[in-house]
Amino acid sequence: MTAVTIEDWQVTPPPAAPPEAIAVAPPDLESIARVLEWASNEGRPVLPWGGGTHLGPPAGDAPEVVLLTSGLTDIVDWQPDDLTLVVQAGALISDVEAMLADRNQSAVLPEQAPGSTIGGAIAAGASGYRRLRYGPTRERILETVVATGDGRVVKAGARVVKNVTGYDIPRLLCGSLGSLGVIGQVCLKLWPVAESAASLAVDVATFDELYRPLALLETETGATAYLSGTADEVAGQAKAVGAQALPGLRWPAPLSHDSRIELRIPPPLVAAAVEHVRRSEAEAFRAQHGVGIVEAGFASWSTERLDELRAWAERHGGAAVVLATPVAGVDRWGTAPGSVDLQRRVKAAFDPRGVMVPGRLPGGI
Amino acid sequence: MTITADLREVLPGKDQVLDHPLDLYVYAKDAGVTSGEVAAVALPETTQQVAAVVRIAARHRVPIVARGAGTGLSGGAVPTQPGLIVALTRLNRIWDVDEEARTAWVGPGVINLDLSQHTAPLGLHYAPDPSSQSACTIGGNIGTNAGGPHCLAEGTTVAHVLALELVTADGDVVMLGGAAPDPLGLDLRGVVVGSEGTMGLVTKILVKLTPNAPDVRTLLLAFDSIEAAAETVSRVIAAGVVPAAMELMDRPMIEAVENFKACGFPRAAAAILIAEVAGHAAAVSAEAEVVASAGEAAGATEVRIAATELERDLIWLGRKSAFGAVAYAAPDYYLHDTVVPRTRLVEVMSAIYEIGGRYGLTMLNVFHAGDGNLHPLVAFDAKEPGMLEKVRAAADEMVKLSIEAGGALSGEHGVGLEKKHLMADVYSPIDLDAQARLRDAFDPGGILNPGKILPEGSRCYDFGLVASLEPESAA
Repeated sequence: MTAVTIEDWQVTPPPAAPPEAIAVAPPDLESIARVLEWASNEGRPVLPWGGGTHLGPPAGDAPEVVLLTSGLTDIVDWQPDDLTLVVQAGALISDVEAMLADRNQSAVLPEQAPGSTIGGAIAAGASGYRRLRYGPTRERILETVVATGDGRVVKAGARVVKNVTGYDIPRLLCGSLGSLGVIGQVCLKLWPVAESAASLAVDVATFDELYRPLALLETETGATAYLSGTADEVAGQAKAVGAQALPGLRWPAPLSHDSRIELRIPPPLVAAAVEHVRRSEAEAFRAQHGVGIVEAGFASWSTERLDELRAWAERHGGAAVVLATPVAGVDRWGTAPGSVDLQRRVKAAFDPRGVMVPGRLPGGI
Repeated sequence: MTITADLREVLPGKDQVLDHPLDLYVYAKDAGVTSGEVAAVALPETTQQVAAVVRIAARHRVPIVARGAGTGLSGGAVPTQPGLIVALTRLNRIWDVDEEARTAWVGPGVINLDLSQHTAPLGLHYAPDPSSQSACTIGGNIGTNAGGPHCLAEGTTVAHVLALELVTADGDVVMLGGAAPDPLGLDLRGVVVGSEGTMGLVTKILVKLTPNAPDVRTLLLAFDSIEAAAETVSRVIAAGVVPAAMELMDRPMIEAVENFKACGFPRAAAAILIAEVAGHAAAVSAEAEVVASAGEAAGATEVRIAATELERDLIWLGRKSAFGAVAYAAPDYYLHDTVVPRTRLVEVMSAIYEIGGRYGLTMLNVFHAGDGNLHPLVAFDAKEPGMLEKVRAAADEMVKLSIEAGGALSGEHGVGLEKKHLMADVYSPIDLDAQARLRDAFDPGGILNPGKILPEGSRCYDFGLVASLEPESAA
């Protein structure tokens, strides 16, 4: 296939994109597949680009093609009475959640994601704080249409809430960081939004006493429990722990430090992880109790600090992931998982020529 | 050496290798209607033994079929060619139950209900609860990504599996996932769960445990038409309530259950809906009210709320006895498993009754209505000439109908052997080829449960292994 006229879809690269690469924004997934087929044949590394908000530090081969999903923004099919939504990958999370909120529904995607796209968040495996209650994003991807690294358009899953019809490719795509292909369209399982929600300033010790909270967050300024349910339920739970319930979900401001590290550890170790990031002089942190994720922001970069945090997390079966660093050449992931050979073969099944973000996954895949 | 001689070297324990014709016969089928041919049965007791068994089978080019309790209904554990059954039932330990993390490590041979009973003193349970939960294993549940009534709010097996130890087709041992969230790199757990033993053999599982709800309310609603019951389900979901369970049963099934174990189900009703709401006390009363009102708006003739634990247990005993009740009433049954969007329940149910009527079949229905997961059940006698063919033809029509309504082939039983010929009705050749490539990445030699899930011709992976039971030198 040589008839692709890349120039027709060429656009000005987003400001944060690698300047050497050409940026293209094809109008539909079929066209994206043509670009991938061409890139695959030519051996040109491709970086899929949603909102550019979940990329992390650069890793692996420098991309020659930045492939934007900005041409794919349609709401394809929303079935409010079935709690499902089919949407194209380039739609903004904020737009979609605002639309769903009109009918008191939510896709439970990251709460604070200005500029983030549906496809980008899924590729990044990003979950919102409410995962404590509703599970991570991968639990809600019912169907996907993806353009594979070599330009095949593949559908998997179905628009139903329960399904074992073939292998669960939708779940595999979640967190794949663009290594398998470009996600073009997804069907998401929605949840009804409860009639009442509140934020409770509490002590961390109180967290255990709450039943099915939405989120239990600890930051450098204190701890907050987030509840939702019927008005009686929320008020009753707040009263039981003797906390004042502020109406609504008051999420802490997202961290924007140039030096950011995320610890992923077994949930009972969150308190210990908080101690560790405090001792490593984090300026701010967002600890998700019950989930096992602590994001920490630092005033300046220190690789030594990363090594210390990483050694501790890995010793406990976790990981320390670099979300942002001003320094080049930092190992983003740490020790690669034991399944790395299997992962390499799985990637090759979707991207046989290895053009999708080569070297971005752990183990240099 | 023969494969059984090789196996006996690595499995020296009592009855760890079976090749008596009677044993082979017993292991040749699951709980469904098909049976296959078994070369030998291996019953390893450790991960190392499983790995050794896989390497031996690969060397002999004998396909491997992993098996739990054999309660599957789609033929997932039935060999398509003379194969080695690897029964994982002896890896049945539960260890490291962590009350704070709400997790436990289990062997694949642990029986589903045993796990919940084991953790009950801690106020925790294992949420997926297939109807066969007193017999089926967690490993088998992983094979089919099993569901159950309470998966409506809690999700199916895959949502409750945090880590898997997998013996690969090469006999290597890898750990996928762990106690920490969001494992690094590609998340392969979801590919293994629901793969019916085609991606590897699972030897250890870290499961998520769910806290028992502080309050539970179980409702039984009776209707004079199945459509009204189905409409209630749609109304509840549309009202923004996702109950813990919503199960629908039609009159033939109510009668079968009542004849089997009297549970006080209203025999006069055309259909009943069993709904359960669970959670904080304040939420439970409000949600029970929503369910009751939805039922009344759809024309419920009776709304019963279980007042005691005994009444609740009786309702669930009735629900979970359904398949036993059918076995009592007819020599054979064929249980379907399709999923449709919940908004299409009413029309699809009507069409399914029409198909059953047209083929003159005895049909009973009990299903996970809240998920849109239909389980029409045909009771029949396989000895009657031509009957099984008729049952299968009707099954195909019902599945195709579900697909046309925007649904899926299977919600929780798996594709196995029974539905692989229908995969091409759901997916394009390119989609199926992508699935085949993914499978090849795990099992390049095509040794793991060949001939399952993907139809012949998806790609050249199912050319068929030749089982060699003869000494290698003769081959």
